[in-house]
Amino acid sequence: MAFYLTKRALSLLMVLLGLAVMIFVIARIVPGDPARIALGPLATANQVAELRQEMGLNDPIYVQLWHYLVGLAQGDLGKSLLTSRPVMSDILQALPATFELVLATVILQISISIPLGVLAAYYRDSWIDNITRILSLLGVVIPGFVLAIILQLLASYYFTSFPVTGRLDPSLDFQANTTGLLLIDSVIAGRPDVFIDALRYLFLPAIALAAGGIGQVMRITRSAMIEVGSRDFIEAARAYGIPERVITFRYMLRVASVAPLTILGLEFASLIGNAFVVEFVFSWPGIASYGVRTILQKDLNAVIGVVLVSGVFFVIANLTIDVLLGIIDPRHRIRGAQKA
Amino acid sequence: MSSHTQLDDARQQRTLTSRQMAWYRFTRNPSAIIGSLIVISVFVAAIFAPYLATHPESAGAHVDFINRHSPPSWEFWFGTDNVGRDIFSRSLFGYRISLGLVVGVLGVAVPFGITLGLMAGYFGGRVEFIIMRFTDIMLAVPPLAMALAITAVLSPNLINAMIAITLLWWTWHTRLIYRIVKAQMSEDYVEAAKVAGASHFHIMFRELLPNCVSAISVKVSLDAGFVILFGAALSFLGLGVQPPTPDLGTMVSTGSEYLPEFWWEAVMPGMAILYAILGFNLLGDGLRDMMDVEL
Amino acid sequence: MTGEPILGISGLDISFTSYGQKSQILHDVSMHIDQGERVSLIGQSGSGKTVTMRTIIGTLPMPPAIIERGSIRFEGTELLTLDKRARNRLKGTGISIVLQDPMLSFNPLLTIGRQMDDVVRFADIRLNISRRRADRTARIHEVLRNVQLADPERICSAYPMMLSGGMRQRVLIGMALLNSPRLLIADEPGTALDVTTQQEILVLLNRLVDETGMSLMLITHNLGVVREMADRVYVMERGRIVETGTRAEIFNNPQHGYTRRLMEAVPSLYGSRVTDVTNERAEDAMIKVRDISKDFPLRSGLFNRQVGITRAVKDVELTINRGDIFGIAGESGSGKTTLAKMMLGLFDATDGAITMDKLNVHDAAGSRDFRKLVQIVYQNPGSSLNPKRTVADQLSVPLIFADFDRSTIAARIRELLELVDLPARYASMYPHELSGGQKQRVAIARALSVDPKILVLDEPTSALDVLIQNVVIDLLQRLRSELDLTYVFISHDLSLMRNFCNRVAIMFRGEICEQGETPDVFANPQHPYTRALLSAIPVLTDEEAAQKPIIEASERNAVLLSTTTLN
Repeated sequence: MAFYLTKRALSLLMVLLGLAVMIFVIARIVPGDPARIALGPLATANQVAELRQEMGLNDPIYVQLWHYLVGLAQGDLGKSLLTSRPVMSDILQALPATFELVLATVILQISISIPLGVLAAYYRDSWIDNITRILSLLGVVIPGFVLAIILQLLASYYFTSFPVTGRLDPSLDFQANTTGLLLIDSVIAGRPDVFIDALRYLFLPAIALAAGGIGQVMRITRSAMIEVGSRDFIEAARAYGIPERVITFRYMLRVASVAPLTILGLEFASLIGNAFVVEFVFSWPGIASYGVRTILQKDLNAVIGVVLVSGVFFVIANLTIDVLLGIIDPRHRIRGAQKA
Repeated sequence: MSSHTQLDDARQQRTLTSRQMAWYRFTRNPSAIIGSLIVISVFVAAIFAPYLATHPESAGAHVDFINRHSPPSWEFWFGTDNVGRDIFSRSLFGYRISLGLVVGVLGVAVPFGITLGLMAGYFGGRVEFIIMRFTDIMLAVPPLAMALAITAVLSPNLINAMIAITLLWWTWHTRLIYRIVKAQMSEDYVEAAKVAGASHFHIMFRELLPNCVSAISVKVSLDAGFVILFGAALSFLGLGVQPPTPDLGTMVSTGSEYLPEFWWEAVMPGMAILYAILGFNLLGDGLRDMMDVEL
Repeated sequence: MTGEPILGISGLDISFTSYGQKSQILHDVSMHIDQGERVSLIGQSGSGKTVTMRTIIGTLPMPPAIIERGSIRFEGTELLTLDKRARNRLKGTGISIVLQDPMLSFNPLLTIGRQMDDVVRFADIRLNISRRRADRTARIHEVLRNVQLADPERICSAYPMMLSGGMRQRVLIGMALLNSPRLLIADEPGTALDVTTQQEILVLLNRLVDETGMSLMLITHNLGVVREMADRVYVMERGRIVETGTRAEIFNNPQHGYTRRLMEAVPSLYGSRVTDVTNERAEDAMIKVRDISKDFPLRSGLFNRQVGITRAVKDVELTINRGDIFGIAGESGSGKTTLAKMMLGLFDATDGAITMDKLNVHDAAGSRDFRKLVQIVYQNPGSSLNPKRTVADQLSVPLIFADFDRSTIAARIRELLELVDLPARYASMYPHELSGGQKQRVAIARALSVDPKILVLDEPTSALDVLIQNVVIDLLQRLRSELDLTYVFISHDLSLMRNFCNRVAIMFRGEICEQGETPDVFANPQHPYTRALLSAIPVLTDEEAAQKPIIEASERNAVLLSTTTLN
C-alpha cells in the first residue's frame, strides 16, 4: 500500500511540476509585454523598463524559469497587481471558503449520486430507474450558472431562508481562525448559531456546483452496477443463496464503486472550474472569485497562482481517491508492489 | 465442397444486418429519437434564424424602449430585454454562435486528439509516455480557469474563446482513443496486419480507427453540448462573445442584472442553452445505448 | 430407478426475445437425475445446456427469457412455481453449482475466507441454524482439506488473484460443497484449465460424489470427460434432447445421427481410428531453429527498473522439412507461442538463430520476401479479423502491401474465397455475419493471399466446436497438398496432433523435452512430462484408454506444478 501510494504521489507531483512549467511557458509566449500589461497603457517607457528589470524579465528564459520554480517551492507566487499584496497570502485568505464549498459539494455528490445510481440499477427499467435517469440528465445538461440563477430566483421568492450571496451573515461576529472552515470552527467554538447560518449560506452554492457531478456519477454508478451484475461471480453468489441485499452492497457496489470514484478524481479540475462561475454568481469569497477578478484585471501573477493552487487541489483530491481505491481494491495494493 | 463445409455454412447464424439492428435499436430508443429531433430543430433554428425570428431586427443593436422589460407574451414569446429586444429572436441568432463554436472547436480538437490518442496507444513506449503525461498535466488544469486566463490575456472575443476551448478539449479525445486502442492492441488483428506488412499509418487509421468510431460519435455528440455550455459560461463571465452580438451566455449575464423582477431575461436564454445541451446529450446517450459503447 | 428422482424436468420450453423477435431456445426438454447418480448433459455451444442449467438454479434472466411451459421438480417440489423464500432456501443447500471459469467466479475484492464464510453464514440464516464464527471457519477448513488443499488458513486469507487456476477451481468446488448440497451442477469443470489440471479436477469430483452420495449433473461439450464422469448421458442439439441412455449405450451404440457425428468428430489418441500422416517430400530442411532462447525482462519498483529476466524459451533446436506438418505441443506458459512469434520475426531471439528457406529471420523480418514466405493463422478468428472491416478489405491488406497491382486485387480475392470454399458474395460481409468456421476460413485465405510457403498455425481450431474443427482441418490438409505448404502447428490438443501432424515436439517450461515422428512419440513417450500429458487426455473408448501410458504419482509430481499448496 505504502509503495503504491508513493508511486502515485510521485507521478502526481510530476503533474504539478509539469503544470507549473507549462503555465510559465504560456505566460511567456502570450503576446504582449507582462510589464506593459501590468502597468497599463498610460505608463512611460521608463517605468516599463524598470518593472521589467524588477520582474527579472531581462534574464535568459531558463534563469527566469529557475527563479520562478525556486520561488514556487518556497511558496512565493509573486505579488498581485490588483491588491499589491503577495499572491500567496491573498490565496490563503480565500482558500478556506473554496475548500469548504468544494468539500460540501463532493460530499453531496457522493451521498446522493451513488445511492441513486445503485437504486436505478437495482430497479433497472422500472419507473424508479426512469425518474433517476431524468434527474441525472437534468443535472448533467443544466449549465452551472443557469442553475445558480434559477436557484437564486427561487430563493428570492420561495425559499427566503436561503441567502443568495456571501458566506455568513455579517451581523454574526465570528472569525474562523482554526481551520478556516466555518462549519468546523463554529463547532469548535461552540457557536451553533454560526453553524446553522453557515449551512444556510452554503446550501445553494453547493447544490448549484454539485448538480453536474451528481448526474454524471449517478449514471456511471448505474452502468457499473449493471456491468458488474452480469459477471460470473455474481451469478455464483446468487446460486449459493447469498441474499440479494448483500450481493448488491458487498459484492456489486464494492466492485462497481471503482468507476465513479475514478471519474470523480478525473473531473475534479472541471469541478473547480465550475466553482469559478458559481462563486461568481453567489459572491462567494473564495479563490475562484479572486481568480475571476484578477483575470479581468490581467493580473498575471495572481492568475498563475490560482491555476497552480487549483492544480494542488486536483492532486490532493486524486491522492485521496487513490487511498480509497487502495482500501477497496486489493489489486491496487498488491499488483502495485509486484510490477508496474 | 465437403459435407463438413456444408455443415459449417448451415451453422451461419440467421443474423440481422448491422444496419437493421441499429435501426431497430434507434426506433426503440426514446433518448435517441427525442435527442435527434431537438438537435435538428437547433440546427434549423440557427440556419434559418433570419426567417424564423419573429423580430429579426432584434439581432443587432436595436432599441425599442417602449417594449423594454416586457414579460413573455404572444408578441414576444420569451419577453424582451432591457432595451426592448425580442429574446426569442435573439436566442435563435444565439444558436448560430453556439453551433459555430461547436463546429470550430470540435473540428480542430477532435481530429487532433484522435491522432495523438492513436499514436500513444499504437506506438507505446516513449511516444506514449510523452503524450499521456502531457494529457495528465492538462487534466489537472481547471478548464474554465485556463480558458478564462487565455481569453483575458488575448482580449475576449469569439475567436479567442474558440482557441482557448480547443486548446483544452483535445485531451479528452486523446484519453478516450488511447484507452480503446490500448485494449485493441491485444487483439490479434493488429498483429495480423503487421505480419501482412501494413504500414503504421494503415494500422492506425484503417484498422484501429474504425473500431473507435462508435465511441467517437457518442463522445462528439455529448461534447457538442458541453462546448455550448462552456462557451456560454465564458460569455457569462464577460470573456466570450461581446455585445451586441446575440450570444446566449451574454444574454443570461445581462439578464441576471434584472433579477428577480424581470426573471425571463436571464431564464429564457438559459432555457435555450439548456434545450440545445439537452438535445446533444440525449442524442449522445441514445447513441451510446444503440452502439453499446462505454465512455 | 428407485423412488422419485432428485431432479425431474419435463416438457420445458423456453424462449428469448431479442430485437423484437421471439425465438424458442429450449424445445420440450425432459430429463431426470436419480439419487446419487452422475448425469451428463452434452452439447456444443449454443445448444441450450447453459440455459437449462440457469433455469434449474434460478438465475435465468427474465426478461429476455420466458419460460413458456414445463416443470422442474426437485425432491418432489415444483421449482418453477415455488415462492421466492422457499426457493432461496434450496440454493447452495439443495442445489449448488460450480461455474465454468474459476478465474471469473470469485469476487476479486474479497478474500477467499470472507466469501466462503458468507456462503455458510447466509445459508445458516435461511435454515435458522445458529453457528459461531469459529464453527463456520472449522467447516470451511474441513471442506478445503476435502478438496485436497493443504494449508486452508493461508488460502482463506488470500485474495483470489493470488491463487493459480487449478487452486481456484478446487476452492470453487469447495465453495459449492460448503452447505452439503444434494445435487451439484458442474458447468464445464476444468475446461478453462490445462489438460493435466483438468484431469485432477475430474478425479476429485468423482471422489467427492462417491464419498458424499450427492447427485451430479455435469454440463460439458467434451465427450471424453463424459466417459470418465457419467452414469447416464443426455445429448442436446439446438435446444432439444436428441438422445439419452446409459454411458455404455451412448458410447457403444449411439443412435442419433448427431451423437454419431459428434463421436466421429473427436480425434482419437490411439487405436484403429488414428490416421498416420506422412510427408513424401521431406527431402530438404525448410526451417532451421538453432539453439534459440528468448528472455523477457522483469520490471519492478518505483522507476520500473529491470530486476531480472524470465526465460520463456530455452535452447530450442528444431529442423522442419519441406512439406512437414510439424506439431509443437505444450500447455499454457510452455513457451510455444513465443517460439512461434520468433519464427515470424515478431520477437527477436535473445540467443540463436532461425533460418527459413535460407532467409535469416533476424535480417529478413518485415521484408516483402519474408512476408511472401511465412504467414500465420491465429487461434481465434473473432480476434484476428477486424470486426469493423469487410472480408474483402481484410483480404486485400497483405496484397496491397506486397505491391499487388490494384486492378488484380478483386480477382485475387475471388480466387482466395474459392480456395477456402466460400462463395464470392462473402467478400462484402463483416465478420459478425459469418459463423466461427467461416471466419477461420477467411483468416486462412488472408494468410494465403500472398502465396506463402510456410504457415504458422497457432491453435487454429481451439476456438471452434469439434464438428467445425474438422472443416478447418480438412481444408488445411487439402491446401497443403494443393499449394505445397509447410505447416508449423501450435496446439495443446494432442489428440488432434496425433491425426494431423507427421512430426511433433513437446515443449515443457520453455524447452523441447521430446520430439520425433508422431507415431513414435505417441506409442513410446520417453519424457515423464509427455507421459503425464498423454495419460491425462480424456478419450472415448476403453481400447484407447488401455493404450495410454501409465504414470507413477511420484513421476507425475516431479513434472507438474502442485495445485494443492500455495507457494
